Amino acid sequence: MNATRGVLSASWLKGNGFKRIVTFSTKAHAKEITASHQKHIPSAHTPTGTSDGRKSVIPQNYRFIYPEFLPDPKVEWRNPVREKLERMDMLDRRTKIDIPEFYVGSILAVTSSDPHAAGKVSRFVGICIHRDRCGLRTRFILRNIIDHQGVEVRYELYDPTIQKIEVLRLEKRLDDHLLYLRDALPEYSTVDLNMEPEFLDENAVVPINDIKVVLRPRPWLERWERQNLQGVVNVDQYITDKQRRQAIAHEKPWEKYDMMKQYRATIPEEEQKEIYAEVHSQLHNLEIQRKRNKRKRSFVKPTKLA
Amino acid sequence: MLRSLIVDLSKLRLCPVVVTQVREKGHLTRPRLRNPYWFVRKERLARDTTVTPENKTFLQEVIKDKYGPPALIKGIPSYDQSALIKTEQFERQPWHEKARRCGLIARKIGQYPLWLKNGERIRTTLLQVVDNHVIRYIPPQEYQPAQRPSVVNLNKYGCLLVGAESVDPSTLTKEYCGLFKDSGVMPKRNLGRFIISPEAAIPAGTPLNVAHFRVGDFVDVRGKTVDHGFQGVVKRHGFKGMPASHGVTKTHRRPGNIGGGGEKGRVWPGTKMPGHMGNRWRVAKGMRIWRINTKYNVMWVQGSAIPGPTNGLVYIYDTILPLRKHKTAPPFPTAFEEELEALTGGRDDVWYEDVHDFKNETITFQPDKN
Repeated sequence: MNATRGVLSASWLKGNGFKRIVTFSTKAHAKEITASHQKHIPSAHTPTGTSDGRKSVIPQNYRFIYPEFLPDPKVEWRNPVREKLERMDMLDRRTKIDIPEFYVGSILAVTSSDPHAAGKVSRFVGICIHRDRCGLRTRFILRNIIDHQGVEVRYELYDPTIQKIEVLRLEKRLDDHLLYLRDALPEYSTVDLNMEPEFLDENAVVPINDIKVVLRPRPWLERWERQNLQGVVNVDQYITDKQRRQAIAHEKPWEKYDMMKQYRATIPEEEQKEIYAEVHSQLHNLEIQRKRNKRKRSFVKPTKLA
Repeated sequence: MLRSLIVDLSKLRLCPVVVTQVREKGHLTRPRLRNPYWFVRKERLARDTTVTPENKTFLQEVIKDKYGPPALIKGIPSYDQSALIKTEQFERQPWHEKARRCGLIARKIGQYPLWLKNGERIRTTLLQVVDNHVIRYIPPQEYQPAQRPSVVNLNKYGCLLVGAESVDPSTLTKEYCGLFKDSGVMPKRNLGRFIISPEAAIPAGTPLNVAHFRVGDFVDVRGKTVDHGFQGVVKRHGFKGMPASHGVTKTHRRPGNIGGGGEKGRVWPGTKMPGHMGNRWRVAKGMRIWRINTKYNVMWVQGSAIPGPTNGLVYIYDTILPLRKHKTAPPFPTAFEEELEALTGGRDDVWYEDVHDFKNETITFQPDKN
């Protein structure tokens, strides 16, 4: 694409060629990403000034709250008209259902229409262990332990059969995904099905839960020792010397210096701004609507039990 | 030389009727492949050394004076559908079931899911009709192509030349620009021909847009598949290959045996072997149109396996599958003002009745009665 190439060269000329926002981090430098998350969050709802002196009204944290509005960075798959139509459809859906801010590690309850369920409605509570893809295909996995059996449900965020998405606990974890909970002890992915939502203060920083999970002994589903996981305490306990040596051999410490790889894996900051400028007003209205609803809910009298 | 000598000698003979056998290769050297007249060199060799910036701006002004503003502004057509139709030389005829309509030239712009009203998820491909105009109609008497397309009773059908995507004419050759002179439209980057019945003829200069089809119609989409280059059997034909270890040497992705011995001791024709993969014309047949956007000229077509890469060119036809052909009259020969109004009713987006509009409420199912 000529446009992206032009943007790259322009930014090179300006001398800020490396000021890129990483939306999908790679494993090798997960630490830096979490650090940058923490750095950005305090400036959450404060609008920041742009280089030309005017104040940008688009909050800086939109790329973390609404990551699915950014298209797939693969150049061969991009098309501006398709992306625009997709964003319009996403906003249309968001006017019908409140899709809250959530992250990998948050605890969610999803109520969806199910033609096979008893009352044609099913509700599932679990911890979000994975969130991937973009646009209308965005999806996430909820995991819970039910009757001593690990259960995972993969939902599509924009599926019109989803009736309600509630965030019961809003928090982040140390890793980009929690797929290793499949190999961890069951208490780490057990969530109470009747859990009450925990309300965070408005404008509060999303807390990072630095809990370290304990893995079960091998065999594992993946080679967790090679993935530089921050949220696991005992990877070293179960691997042999040979596996340890191989993990070191498979490390790619140079990838964090690979600017081209980073460029290909991300949407440049200028394009992100364009995209969020397009959807900002509608998203902002939806946020105001949500706040109003929340206030209404807080005045509801508690119902008398028994 | 030899031939003329024989002829001269034969003139000397007394016998009046002479049959001279001439054994030359003349019948082989005549050109067997004659391309259609619109296959002319497109790009002009750029010699910009003598052109000043003032010259360039002047050229752009001339182009704008002649053809008006650019046809597409941010993906939205800037022209009026009715403005270019020359109705005085054109009489619309009623549709009948045997009629062959013209098709469209589109770009595959990507794919994303839609949902049906019963909650089912469908995968759709988005095709954008890119600035199509009719360039010329060749009636059946004049249309005698050297390479005959495989159409039954070809002599009954005419040919409609359609162009897509306007380009700056100063980058093109004079011959190529000449093709567009009669239609009065800006020269196009892509040309396609459609075999149509004479009733479906459209006068040159008419813009074609996505309303040429209706939601719920079935279309055939023809495109050139992604070029994978020379590939082995595992990628090309989905062979399993052989194990990576356990003593296997040098045969991990090889085909293995390719034939028997004895009487059948040869490689049979059609044996799956390595070779070039992709870059072939393929047709995805009988794809339903789920949704149409008339503002951006986009249609959502069933399936994610439409041939070609994203941003690749495809050709859209009425389907040839007998059970999915038009039951009622489609816009014939193409959608003009009144059809466009009837189709959209003022809306940009037209959804098929089974598809869930994202503007509608969440899908719910009614509990069973008993």
